[in-house]
Amino acid sequence: MKKTFYGILGFLIVFGLVLAGCSSSKSSTEQSGSDNTKISKVTKKGKDITIAVADNFISLDPHDTNDTLSNSAEKTMYEGLFGFDKDMKIVPLLAESYTANDNATEFTFKLRHGVKFQDGTPFNAEAVKVNIDRLADQNNHLKRNSLFAVVKETKVIDDYTVKVILKEPFGAMINTFAHPAAMMISPAALKKYGKDIARHPVGTGPYEFVEWKPGDHLTVKKNPNYWKNGKPKLDSITFKPVPENGSRIAMLKTGEADFIYPVPTESAKEVNGNNGIVVENNPSIIVRYLSINTMKKPFNDLKVRQAINYAINKEAFVKVVNNGYGSVLDSVIAPNTQFYSKQQVYKYDPEKAKKLLKEAGYPNGFTATLWGGNSSGTTKAMEFIQQQLSLVGIKVNIVPMESGTMSEKIWSVNNPKDAEIELYYGGWSPSTGDADWGIRPLLASESFPPASYNTAYYKNDQADALIKQALQTADPEERKAAYAKVQKIIWDDAPWAFLCVDDTMYGKRDYLKNAYLLPDGSLDVSNAEIQQ
Amino acid sequence: MLKYIFKRVIEIIPILFIITIIIFLFVHLIPGDPARLVAGQDATAQDIANVRKALGLDKPLPIQYVNYLHHIIQGDFGISLKTKEPVSTMIGQRFMPTFWLSVVSMIWSVIVGLLIGVISATKRNKWQDYVGMIVAVSGISLPSFWLGLMLIELCAVDLGWFPTGGLNSWKSYILPSITLGSGIAAVIARFTRSSLMDVLKEDYVRTGRAKGLKERIVIWDHALKNALIPVVTMTGLQFGFLLGGSVVVETVFSWPGLGRLMIDSINFRDYPVIQSEMLLFSLEFLVINLLVDIIYGFLNPQIRYN
Repeated sequence: MKKTFYGILGFLIVFGLVLAGCSSSKSSTEQSGSDNTKISKVTKKGKDITIAVADNFISLDPHDTNDTLSNSAEKTMYEGLFGFDKDMKIVPLLAESYTANDNATEFTFKLRHGVKFQDGTPFNAEAVKVNIDRLADQNNHLKRNSLFAVVKETKVIDDYTVKVILKEPFGAMINTFAHPAAMMISPAALKKYGKDIARHPVGTGPYEFVEWKPGDHLTVKKNPNYWKNGKPKLDSITFKPVPENGSRIAMLKTGEADFIYPVPTESAKEVNGNNGIVVENNPSIIVRYLSINTMKKPFNDLKVRQAINYAINKEAFVKVVNNGYGSVLDSVIAPNTQFYSKQQVYKYDPEKAKKLLKEAGYPNGFTATLWGGNSSGTTKAMEFIQQQLSLVGIKVNIVPMESGTMSEKIWSVNNPKDAEIELYYGGWSPSTGDADWGIRPLLASESFPPASYNTAYYKNDQADALIKQALQTADPEERKAAYAKVQKIIWDDAPWAFLCVDDTMYGKRDYLKNAYLLPDGSLDVSNAEIQQ
Repeated sequence: MLKYIFKRVIEIIPILFIITIIIFLFVHLIPGDPARLVAGQDATAQDIANVRKALGLDKPLPIQYVNYLHHIIQGDFGISLKTKEPVSTMIGQRFMPTFWLSVVSMIWSVIVGLLIGVISATKRNKWQDYVGMIVAVSGISLPSFWLGLMLIELCAVDLGWFPTGGLNSWKSYILPSITLGSGIAAVIARFTRSSLMDVLKEDYVRTGRAKGLKERIVIWDHALKNALIPVVTMTGLQFGFLLGGSVVVETVFSWPGLGRLMIDSINFRDYPVIQSEMLLFSLEFLVINLLVDIIYGFLNPQIRYN
């Protein structure tokens, strides 16, 4: 027995020493950025870059895509009439300008001259009509049909002028045209490939398609006939799906990848500034919230909902859940969403929360269930909320669920009175960058499940009317005024605990300039270049 | 022997048929609506209804099953609900990487496992045995994602010997196969050790030694052949599981294999992909079981069936 004991002990000691050797070199890296053997200083040869992302692309057909990752890949090859800049402002791309009629039912676009698709087909009004007709036709069963279901018809006025007529007023239509779903596909390619266009993208963008092996890599190369002179500045881009955070960071360290996203918040500080790696973070349009079922006791009492808001320390939430990479949410939508209007944050005040609960008739608190997804970030957030609410007497049972089960539980309910849901931890990104898409699907009474995402079952007639009114016109001033009112009403009614706005995070080598993530989480490499 | 093999191969077909029914039922009875998951976050109720119709999910279950079977017989394994790619292409693309990784992992883990097992069994209760078993226990206990990430940190980032992931050259196989193989080598080592220890107690072994045969021949030519029977079973099972793809190793090493496809499809309720992968998985096990039985026959002629 003695021999066994010493044998095991000896082995463990040796093993431990080996591990300690690994980890001590890690800490010396943090302290002295220049003196480390782990992150190699890479001199870039050539103009081909590799971008490591978190998942596989699902499709390369922008009309049939609803995930931001596939949109990012598509944006290297496709462009729309308009697009978003790094602050989510709408900028003209294939269109030079537009006009709208007073009641936002007709939008006329003046198109750019001299642009060709990558297969040589000229870009003109007819091409635009083909694309919009495809999107608006329900029988094509495209995932993005809903964004264009409001289109009645598209008219070619002349070669470079096209008019889109809507079935009803929709003031946010211009945002829809800036959305990646509205990028223009070559009509000749659509005819040639039909449904297979998802595997054979042909657009007007800076890079053209080379090959795609799903699960392994996607490669695009420079478009020699791109309409912006002098661009693009890279020769090729290869995308690689690398699901494991640790492996993705390792690729950046070894130089196998020049750009990676997302960067897990825990690893950001470790690599930032080391031997040529930079990690950048910027506010996104993604908001995180705790929805409260306003139709169920005790949540139907405004005081209870206010109490929940006062009970949660939002600054601490950002520190704990996002490792500091985020900001407190101070309205229904994020600051860089169009028509955002700042509200007064419910400051952390557990005493006030307890007082409000007492006034509402719950001096000893109550029990509640919290539903949410089961990823590690979500679980952390839910545990944080549980802990905070426990301090004011609200006992929360966390129920993490995988997405299929959760969607079943939320969307199989047809009558709001039958809804089991109480508290729900969710996130939302209004991909059109407009207040309408950030508010209506979440808080208008038309959006109760199963129609859409109003898990708070919030119904306020005044808010509903203002939301509708804001769509009746394309005039930005009128819409801004309406949304300011809506945000105040919703904020005061507190159907949510308003939590935080996520940051976008990406890591890259410092020789790669002008490659970044937009607030909607999509990638923009149209101006990317290498500067040693 | 040949007749036996032929009979077994034919028997696979009705078993597979029953398996398709079981798989189909289970997959469709999981809660969660693929139409909603496919339609995505921004979808309206009408969108989802459209998607459901386009995917054929609005028809009653028995009709869906008959359609499914009808297509399988013609070799059409359907279209993925998520990516709209033909399922056979998707699985085909991912099968070879998983297959070769499994083969490489299996080869070295069998060699290492057998070696450790034999040494431990023959030098029982001496230091070689203890070291061998400690290594074996570590191999089973170390979580594969930890081992994988540690190997990446050490061998890829620090030393730069190997790539951090993906499938680019023969070098890409080394780290993932070590990660995958360590658990299996450990299991094989322990099984070999206990099985060989039992066999070494048998009379015929003592006879061999009494006859004056070299110890090495006694162990490797006579004892091991019989000790290997439970090991072969275990190895076959392990290989079967490997062929299904290891989700953890494939995730850590960004390996384009079947494991990740399976998890992604389950999360997405991508019925056609799940069903086809499970069918493939079942077929692999049936074939492996058959091969294992045949190998038994070679190892111990007394077991041959007639």
